[in-house]
Amino acid sequence: MTEIGLPPINYGAITPMLILFGASCVGVFVEAFVPKAQRHLVQLVLSLGAITAALVTVVWQADTRTVTAGGAIAIDGPTLFLQGAILVLGVVSILLIGERSLERGGPFVAQAAIVVGSDADRNQTVRQPGATDIYPLSLFALTGMLLFVAANDLLTMFIGLEVLSLPLYLMCALARRRRLLSQEAALKYFMLGAYASAFFLFGLALVYGFTAGTPSGSGDNGGGVDFATIAAAVRNSEVSPALLYAGIALIAVGLLFKAAAAPFHVWTPDVYQGAPTPVTGFMAACTKVAAFGALLRVLHVAFGGASWAYTPVLGAVAALTMLVGAVLAVTQTDIKRLLAYSSVANAGYLLVGALAVNKQGLASTMFYLVAYGFTVLAGFAVVTLVRDADGEATHLSRWAGLGRRSPLFAGVFTFILLAFAGIPVTSGFTSKFAVFGAASGAGHTWLVVVGVLSSMILAFPYLRVVVMMWLSEPGESTPSVLVPGGLTAAALTIGVAATLVLGVAPESLLDLTNRAAEFVP
Amino acid sequence: MSLSAWVPIVGLLVLGALFSLFSVAIAPIVGPKRYNRAKLEAYECGIEPTPQPIGGGRFPIKFYLTAMLFIIFDIEVIFLYPWAVSFNALGLFGFVEMLLFIGTVFIAYAYVWRRGGLDWD
Amino acid sequence: MTAGQVALVATLALPALGAAAVALVPARADRAGRVLGTVFAALALVASLLIYRPDGGWFGYAPANRASAVRPWHELDLTWVPGLELRFHLGVDGISYPLVVLTTLLTLLCCAYTVGRSPGARPGRTLVALLLVIEVGVLGTFLALDLVLFFLFFEVVLLPMYAVIAGWGGDDPRAEAGAHRAAARKFVLYTLFGSVLMLVGVFTVVAAAGTADIVALTGGAGLSRPVQLAAFALLAIAFAVKSPLWPLHTWLPDAHTQAPTVGSVMLAGVLLKMGTYGLIRVAVGVAPEGARWAAPVLGVLAVAAIIVGALVCLAQTELKRLIAYSSVGHMGFVLLGVATLTATGLQAALIGNIAHGVITGLLFFLAGAIKDRFHTGALDDLGGLRERMPALSGLLGYAAIASLGLPGLAGFWGEAFAVVAALRRGGPLWTTLAVIAAVGGALTAAYFLRLLRRVTHGPASPVVAGAGGAPIAGVELAAWAPLVVLALAVGLVPTLVLGLAQGPVGALVEAVR
Repeated sequence: MTEIGLPPINYGAITPMLILFGASCVGVFVEAFVPKAQRHLVQLVLSLGAITAALVTVVWQADTRTVTAGGAIAIDGPTLFLQGAILVLGVVSILLIGERSLERGGPFVAQAAIVVGSDADRNQTVRQPGATDIYPLSLFALTGMLLFVAANDLLTMFIGLEVLSLPLYLMCALARRRRLLSQEAALKYFMLGAYASAFFLFGLALVYGFTAGTPSGSGDNGGGVDFATIAAAVRNSEVSPALLYAGIALIAVGLLFKAAAAPFHVWTPDVYQGAPTPVTGFMAACTKVAAFGALLRVLHVAFGGASWAYTPVLGAVAALTMLVGAVLAVTQTDIKRLLAYSSVANAGYLLVGALAVNKQGLASTMFYLVAYGFTVLAGFAVVTLVRDADGEATHLSRWAGLGRRSPLFAGVFTFILLAFAGIPVTSGFTSKFAVFGAASGAGHTWLVVVGVLSSMILAFPYLRVVVMMWLSEPGESTPSVLVPGGLTAAALTIGVAATLVLGVAPESLLDLTNRAAEFVP
Repeated sequence: MSLSAWVPIVGLLVLGALFSLFSVAIAPIVGPKRYNRAKLEAYECGIEPTPQPIGGGRFPIKFYLTAMLFIIFDIEVIFLYPWAVSFNALGLFGFVEMLLFIGTVFIAYAYVWRRGGLDWD
Repeated sequence: MTAGQVALVATLALPALGAAAVALVPARADRAGRVLGTVFAALALVASLLIYRPDGGWFGYAPANRASAVRPWHELDLTWVPGLELRFHLGVDGISYPLVVLTTLLTLLCCAYTVGRSPGARPGRTLVALLLVIEVGVLGTFLALDLVLFFLFFEVVLLPMYAVIAGWGGDDPRAEAGAHRAAARKFVLYTLFGSVLMLVGVFTVVAAAGTADIVALTGGAGLSRPVQLAAFALLAIAFAVKSPLWPLHTWLPDAHTQAPTVGSVMLAGVLLKMGTYGLIRVAVGVAPEGARWAAPVLGVLAVAAIIVGALVCLAQTELKRLIAYSSVGHMGFVLLGVATLTATGLQAALIGNIAHGVITGLLFFLAGAIKDRFHTGALDDLGGLRERMPALSGLLGYAAIASLGLPGLAGFWGEAFAVVAALRRGGPLWTTLAVIAAVGGALTAAYFLRLLRRVTHGPASPVVAGAGGAPIAGVELAAWAPLVVLALAVGLVPTLVLGLAQGPVGALVEAVR
């Protein structure tokens, strides 16, 4: 019997993932064995501790540049930077998720299986503390995201995609109030997400077919789906590239779905609206980083040699995404849907940066991801604070006159909206400037034109909210703004501070992205 | 490699499709038609179905839970089998990996057990 | 840091500090907040006056090896975000200095005016804070020597101005509710449209040249012809929206009509100058080949603006709207001067800028005073003001005559020299343009005289006769007096402006040629 050769694994390089995975398993155990009253605290400490530990190991690894686990995982500058970004944004998201003082029992349902509208449901809405399963689910999702941005072959990437997606589907369904909306959102997200995953798999298969005959990493001539083999095949293969193009297209569909790019964005508003607001923030910040991290690696490393072929198509997708997001944001009447469409438009701006297949494009896209993540988390943090007796008051008309009721939070939210609109002295301006500059440098002037035009359209819904908050008189139905508990206050402070600092003194982060912006071959 | 090598496979596909279409189409024409109540019932493992409203009604969610638990262990067994066959070739590393895998499934099992997923009522 | 650099930074930092300080003043100390803001505005004026370098000249200060056409008196060059080509590069020379002083002066006057006359329902200290923020943005635009920094400050102005119009505007009870919001929205729409084009233009230039330093870029910096044409088209449209150049002017009358008095003054006196200044310094300076290519188009549009502005003014029935449209005409003269691309033309544009800022600022103050007293701006309702308020009518007459370009007052030089520059340019096109512009100048006289006839002369209308007609308050006089004096001073001694600008304009024309 022949010995099966085992690939060497650099355990140091994958420690962050192992820590998070271990912590999520422990979290499941905590759910099983720790008494209900203490679970919340234990889980919160465990999650924050695990993410911090993972972050520390990422920082500790900062100079590692290696491909490990048989070519399945690449630990390089972009991986480490994006992992760090996901973890930092993850900490902020966990702070939002852990808030329990705004509403009795927190924003999550106590028992998701109880039939909506039954007596037991009404009882749990007002009395029971929320379930804490959300913590291990978040940790699982974060594990998947770390793997997703580190994956160096398409199969590993697919596994990362599934590991990050499945917990997210569940997390969407856990809202304490408006549970039908929440469950509908989860189901919609799950169905469409599964569909997108299938696209990804089909594309993977086609690309594998295309690489047949190219010597793969393992030494045979059978082809493979690791990025080095694909890149070699893209450069050297003499077979017709039809398979390759179809494969790129299908894989892109799978990834663009997660990134919420048009025309694969239709789930975004419903899911953002239905999901519990902290989870929405988590998706808008962390999932976006992960999805674009993977997209960057696929476009730059695997298919970089075919960039002339995919750039026009993906450029059209980017233009469509920006315009659809901006135009539809104008018509929204719900703050969460508005932010969802704004997130779609931002996916378009990110795509503009990602399509500049050079170092500058990579660096600016990574900068944008971090800057946007902080701002959007702060934005959703404010949304959790504006409440009335039925929970969050998300309809825009209810926000009229908020500036009178609570000048501080209206001011903070104004600042966040101005950052979304890309006004100078906020991170929104520096990040947009960076990606448009990169795209302009790469010769994609038409994308820059569409980008600035759409950002002009997009400024309007934001301004409308600002005007409503400050220039309208508060009515009977204007909700109150709660004083945030310590966790939300911390998340909000971090988000706003990052938005300001990255707008005024972005140099250190820009420098970091520039140093990180190089993939290992 | 020429394309002609694939012709038999295509032929097989076509034959298979034709046969199944033919069978489905011919059965109602040549078969005897003797209706009874049992034939119109939903199929539930051969037991007499509990009375349901028109259109199916709702099943207790517990069935699904059991089914999912079954699938998990099913997959575990499927995975264990080839591992056992090539146990010698995989060595200690394979053993540890399999323990980790079983451990992970066990965590989920413990969760289900403690949260009452195994209690029927 | 030299004393000049300190003054440079102080000019920019004082209004910013003032805005922050005023914003922190509690609601019960509203008046104290307004006074505090005025003090900061006054300090900014002092700082801007200290920038002046009477002995430095324009060639003495600049290092000998520097070949650029821009030779700032003082310069401050700090690294900010090198990754984005963004440097904190400030500088002032004879082109920007008069505008800087005009800005600090008008802001001070507006703040002082707000101290004396509370703007009604909304807190006055917030209005003062917003005015100071606008001042920061405008001053930054005039002082920036980095293209990206220029854009950044250009953008800063947008939102506070929106808030001023939307929040404090619309005091006309007869206008339908929400008209001021609509006007503010229109203003933002147009300006945003301009700024996105400008952003693309900035990207084009920076990507092609590899630097955003205006000093290095002036004169073309070896940019290829297609790049220059594209950049000039983008930038010129952006600045044309701001100036505004016909046919992109339609936001202006609404914004002016709806804005509060101080908002109108800032808008006409200062904000419009950002467009013409940007056109001279950035569009013409950075893309001279593009400027030469587009000059005839620019000239034709400018003359169209003069004629259209004048004709529309002849048919106007509302005081502030009329003054707003007169701005379109005046800016037409300024742009005609720029379009000639000659030293005379650019000089005319600069002095026209200053004169328009002073005179139209004064006109809007006076129009505001009239509307305050009679609660209407309709020319049909006003009339015979001379009988009730001789002093106010006298001032209005003075401002109107200054605006129509009577020799000896500030308005004359800009218009006359723009026409002269176009004539000197020669050729059938420019000669025709000069002739039409001169006709437009005559029309300007016609509508201002019509304005005076309707408002000040004739028998007193019921509105004028009936209302109280409070005498001119001290604060109003204090706000108007400097403008009255300046309009006369610049008219009698145009070298106040022209002398400063002679060197830099000559250098710029050399570089552009």
